[in-house]
Amino acid sequence: MYVKIESLQFGYVKDEQVINDVSLSMKEGEIVAILGSSGSGKSTLLRILSGLEMPNKGEIVINEETLCATQVYIEAEKREVGMVFQDYALFPHMNVEKNIAFGLSRLPKSCRKARVKEMLELVSMEEKIDAYPHELSGGQQQRIALARALAPKPSILLLDEPFSNLDTDLKLKIRQELKMIIKKTHMTSIFVTHDYEDAHDIADRIIYLENGRIVDEIVMEHNQQNTQ
Amino acid sequence: MLRRIKSKLNLFTVTSIIAGLLIIIPLLNIFVELTAPASDAWIHIRTYLLGRYLRNTFVLIFYVSILSASLGFFAAYVITRYEFKGRKLLSWMLILPLAVPSYIMAYVYGDMTSYSGTVSRFFRSIGYDGYINVMTMQGAVIIFTLTLYPYVYMMVRSALQKQSASFIESARLLGASKWKVFWRVVLPLARPALVAGTLLVVLETLNDYGLVEYFNVQVFSFAIFNAWFSFGDVISAIRLSAILMLIVFGIVFLERAIRGRRRYNLHSKTRPVERVELKNSQKIYPVLLWMVLAFGFVIPVLQLLWFTRFANNTLFNIEMMYLIVNSISIAVFATFIIVVIAIMLANFNRGRASSFKKSWLKITNLGYAIPGAVLAIAVHMFFIDLDHMFYPLYRFVNPETGRLVLSLSLSMLVFAYVLRFMAIGYNSIEASYDKIGESFTEAAYALKSSKIKTLWTIDLPLIKTGLLSAAIIVFIDIIKELPLTLILRPTNYNTMATIVHEYASDEMLIEASIPALVLIAVASLMIYILTHAKQKRGAANVRKN
Ligand SMILES: Nc1ncnc2c1ncn2[C@@H]1O[C@H](COP(=O)(O)OP(=O)(O)OP(=O)(O)O)[C@@H](O)[C@H]1O
Ligand SMILES: [Mg+2]
Repeated sequence: MYVKIESLQFGYVKDEQVINDVSLSMKEGEIVAILGSSGSGKSTLLRILSGLEMPNKGEIVINEETLCATQVYIEAEKREVGMVFQDYALFPHMNVEKNIAFGLSRLPKSCRKARVKEMLELVSMEEKIDAYPHELSGGQQQRIALARALAPKPSILLLDEPFSNLDTDLKLKIRQELKMIIKKTHMTSIFVTHDYEDAHDIADRIIYLENGRIVDEIVMEHNQQNTQ
Repeated sequence: MLRRIKSKLNLFTVTSIIAGLLIIIPLLNIFVELTAPASDAWIHIRTYLLGRYLRNTFVLIFYVSILSASLGFFAAYVITRYEFKGRKLLSWMLILPLAVPSYIMAYVYGDMTSYSGTVSRFFRSIGYDGYINVMTMQGAVIIFTLTLYPYVYMMVRSALQKQSASFIESARLLGASKWKVFWRVVLPLARPALVAGTLLVVLETLNDYGLVEYFNVQVFSFAIFNAWFSFGDVISAIRLSAILMLIVFGIVFLERAIRGRRRYNLHSKTRPVERVELKNSQKIYPVLLWMVLAFGFVIPVLQLLWFTRFANNTLFNIEMMYLIVNSISIAVFATFIIVVIAIMLANFNRGRASSFKKSWLKITNLGYAIPGAVLAIAVHMFFIDLDHMFYPLYRFVNPETGRLVLSLSLSMLVFAYVLRFMAIGYNSIEASYDKIGESFTEAAYALKSSKIKTLWTIDLPLIKTGLLSAAIIVFIDIIKELPLTLILRPTNYNTMATIVHEYASDEMLIEASIPALVLIAVASLMIYILTHAKQKRGAANVRKN
């Protein structure tokens, strides 16, 4: 298994479990959607996987690297996890190029430009390389946020409610685009939503979260077939 | 055409246009007077003194701005990002040094380190024969920093509080170290607030006259006063003023140019950054901040209290009471005028944006950028012109009248206060209007409520807290104001600020201690109200549409 999550437990305050004994395994390249009502702990689960919150118990192994176990804890900045935030969090004082290059400091300077260009091609936004975030539409901002998260070649991509800031017309189009981009890069991804349609259209598997527990799981065969 | 003009002519527009003209005319006057032939004194100043004035001014604002930017940022960062005992208390008390005018702090530290002062006596009592001289450029830099850093602190604190945690978290997930997150994300995002706060500090430093006079630090405001009152040469004073104004505008435009196309507040759901506990070595941070507060507020106040022990009862008499009431009432009066005009300006600013509106409002808010000494000259000349113009009218009313009426009255000083502090009132009120948006006002207009009625029953109640804080900040600035008051007051008219200055210039600090303490107490009380008058209901919950 590419991703192994084992009996995670977490609470923001003592004696309150926001994530309760969550276990999950994923194959490489699989897309999992997490569905659940507001407050069920979806964002929290992503924050734990990314290393922004430290679980009280449990194990996380991705691509044979143990990120979290009883004796091990790798900080968020050392994990190779890409995340697209609900508000995209594009740095407003940097243009598109600088935003995407932000995560590429380990690459030699000469490779960075090429990688930025490659990412912009992937999301078809080459002509916006010099634009500042406030000069982009909501959908364009999201694509740049995606490009920025994918640029350092993370081992897993996490998306928190990627469509919640978009209006319905745009949403359908972007949903297809996102699916295409993720499939093209063969990126193992988890995305959070509370809209069944989103999950239905994109995911290989849907996981239902309620009060911090996984209560149901559905495999979406129609999506799996057209990729393999 | 006429109808279009008429539809735009309302109280708000007319007030704004007049307010703009009243600041442009006196300032243009300065540049017109530049054409007057150079005096001998000017040639002397230009040959022997100008270089020194320029150098000292730049050295002073360079160090003051770097130090207060660092201190203000550090304080704001510690208060917003770390959790520790006494944080809440420190959070508002760090603003208190603003209640101590730089010149009063200069008199107190100057005296404490003099031969008979507290510090020197303490040194001798422990057998140390040393001596600290604060009355130098370095001393001036430190005192300006201690009294002015709160401007940076307040602005940066509010910017850091608004910074969304998702920016920092994204940066971390992209592999950035804490160091890189700070330098590439946190600091640049707070830059506009840092720059705006530092700009206020610079403007206040250029405005000061009391401290630089007492320490004999020869900067521009010193030079202008000197030219006017020692050389008795208005022409040189005007030339120096024009140069100083060019420097100020240069600084302001430089910052605009650097900012360019970048924006710093992208619409983003703000989840505030969580505060973390201080780690071992960081435990020193609050201690440092308490020390700043000690030097910037507690020690000067204690020393002043100590002085009052020696003041005999005759000092706190009817005359002193009269003086205190006097300076508070003129400050209240000028504050009232400023708030009323600022409301008109802010209303003028609402509705459809136009570039004329924008630039006009910039002009009406120029006053704060203009150092007191320069503004004083401009207003003085303007009022003398007015008196010449109105002389026939004076004669008509009272055949025995002298030539100068307005320029000998208190109205000149009030006028100057209004010009200088308009920007502060306006910006604060404009910000609260911005927060409530326009939907309520538009709804009221749709219900056929008149402009004035809407203002009174809808807008003002909604921006109550903003009005209060505007009024308080303006009030504090006015009671502290020294250079304008010194030049433009009627003969024998004193405020707390001028009487402190008068006594202190004669080394009579004991006599100065009571008015100085009253001034600091009033200003501190205002700061307390400002920081504790949190909006509870109403305006606070109203969101921009
Ligand atoms: N920083 C925090 N401190 C304390 N409690 C928190 C914090 N963040 C979230 N919670 C609580 O944890 C629970 C789960 O929150 P979470 O944000 O993970 O829910 P969610 O499923 O993402 O909801 P939504 O769909 O509204 O985004 C909620 O009860 C919430 O109140
Ligand atoms: Mg959520």
